[in-house]
Amino acid sequence: MNERSPRWLAVTVLAAVLGVAGCASKKAPEPSTPPPVPQATETPQTPPPAPAPAETAPAPAPGSSDFQPVFFDFDSYTLRDDGRSALDQNAKLLRDNPSLAITIEGHCDERGTAEYNQALGERRAQAARDYLAAAGIAASRMQVISYGKERPFDPGHDEAAWQKNRRAHFVVRS
Amino acid sequence: MMTRAFLLAWMIVAGTPAAWAQAPSDVRIDIHGAGQRIPIDCESLAPSGDRNARNWSTQADEVLAHDLEWSAVFLVSRSWAPGSRSFDAQAVVGGRLAVNGNQVRLMGEVRDLPARRPILVREYRGTLQEWRSVVHRFADDIVLQFTGEMGVAQTQIAFVTKNGSSKELCVADYDGANLRTLTADQSIALSPAWAPDGSLLLFTSYRGGGGPRVFVIHPQGGRPYLVSGRPGLNTSASYSPDGRDIVCTLSQDGNAEIYLLDARGSAPRRLTNHRGIDTSPAWSPTGREIAFTSDRSGTPQVYVMDRDGSNIRRLTYDVDYTDSPAWSPKGDRLAFVARTGGGFDIHTCRADGTDTRLVVTGGSNENPRWAPDGRHLVFSSSRDGPIGLYISDLDGTPPRKLLTAGRVALSPAWGPRPRGSGAALDGSTLNPVTGGRP
Repeated sequence: MNERSPRWLAVTVLAAVLGVAGCASKKAPEPSTPPPVPQATETPQTPPPAPAPAETAPAPAPGSSDFQPVFFDFDSYTLRDDGRSALDQNAKLLRDNPSLAITIEGHCDERGTAEYNQALGERRAQAARDYLAAAGIAASRMQVISYGKERPFDPGHDEAAWQKNRRAHFVVRS
Repeated sequence: MMTRAFLLAWMIVAGTPAAWAQAPSDVRIDIHGAGQRIPIDCESLAPSGDRNARNWSTQADEVLAHDLEWSAVFLVSRSWAPGSRSFDAQAVVGGRLAVNGNQVRLMGEVRDLPARRPILVREYRGTLQEWRSVVHRFADDIVLQFTGEMGVAQTQIAFVTKNGSSKELCVADYDGANLRTLTADQSIALSPAWAPDGSLLLFTSYRGGGGPRVFVIHPQGGRPYLVSGRPGLNTSASYSPDGRDIVCTLSQDGNAEIYLLDARGSAPRRLTNHRGIDTSPAWSPTGREIAFTSDRSGTPQVYVMDRDGSNIRRLTYDVDYTDSPAWSPKGDRLAFVARTGGGFDIHTCRADGTDTRLVVTGGSNENPRWAPDGRHLVFSSSRDGPIGLYISDLDGTPPRKLLTAGRVALSPAWGPRPRGSGAALDGSTLNPVTGGRP
């Protein structure tokens, strides 16, 4: 219950394979046709772009359980001591397995607003990525996604649940 | 004003001469003060036509009474409910409902009391499938007649419903009827925002994998189109009041900032430039200013800037966490959420940040959005346990729950009035009664 389900891992893997999410330096491909605009016309004048890929992903990649989550204080994206030591272990894992590429998910507890938490979650994931980059991990191996408060690990409404949900979470992409 | 004068003149020309021996009394009342609802009595609509007409008229009675109650303009008594008749009602609403095959005709009447002189006599037609909208048009005209401004009974509300760990985009009538789900991608949809003409909905979604991106979809359904899929966050998008621009949050430069895009999502222009988080942009109704949230002072607070990013000033000071600004349609006030203890309350303040008032408390309350008449706020709340949508009339009456088919619902956006409803004089759908009453 506290870990990512294989389906989400699969989606992440598929996204990486298709290059939809790309790495941080790569722009997601825009469709060739522009979206409709709120003018006089009510119907799109261009054929719709190709639909998004269906969720028929291959088997999940290596599990993410070897990577340590990084926890944060309330409303904060500052790394704590326990977070730094978790990241040191994660850095070693990445150095020992140079072919691994990861997605770092940023998560928040439910007490912030949805919009602000999306930005806060991104800051948390970025803080973890920047620490690993400073430890010598190539930025091209790390992708950042914020889920804000949309994917809590613990659905509870107390501090124990909230602390679990304020985290940077590591998912192996390949 | 123009509309109303026209309406009145037209009715005088078209109405029964005997009924208009004298000009109708001007019953418009300024009701901007809180709690000053106009007592009005609803009588049952008389059914005619098909044998099952009474089934429809009975439902129409309730829809009309609710519309008038939920307009926040009227205090409604129902003559069919024993003991509820108001003795100080200033007007009585009634008429006839004819059902013939697939056609509905509502002959609506509003009369003043005690003289029972006609204030509003009009006919509304539609198919049987449109019967609720036929009733809503009458209700909106009644509100127009009494206040000089159309009601919002013909509007829709967009929101997301939670299903397991996914969130899908939905649209329903303002009273919760006709709920339809627009997405079925088992992803996370968030933050819908209507085009000013109601023809499109912007929203944020994680569909297709990767991070949050901005899409646009027709509120009748269909497939979503990608508007902004830049690296990092693409969130909190909304159209400018003239529909030509989109303001949104992007983090393509490494940090959440507010950007202006054109209506197709191209040509980004960066408006904020600060190492803190900047998000939740909200247009002023003139399009000249944008409210937003920033934690540049240490905690999230609401700020306002000019639409080119200049002249940034802080709006909120009293609480350590404020977010989700929403500008009232008349531009005089903003609603926002403020964290107090375990959850969020909703406040409003003047556009200069003064005169802060607590308007919703109890449970946690998020994402306030104004109705197009500025008389109501829709928001999500945990006040009764599971998160659902509620509407506050901002006049001290308790918020009412918007029924969303029992689903967990949040992140609402109140749509605009349908185009042309302000004039409401489209002869093809709306005709005056020309002396046809018995």
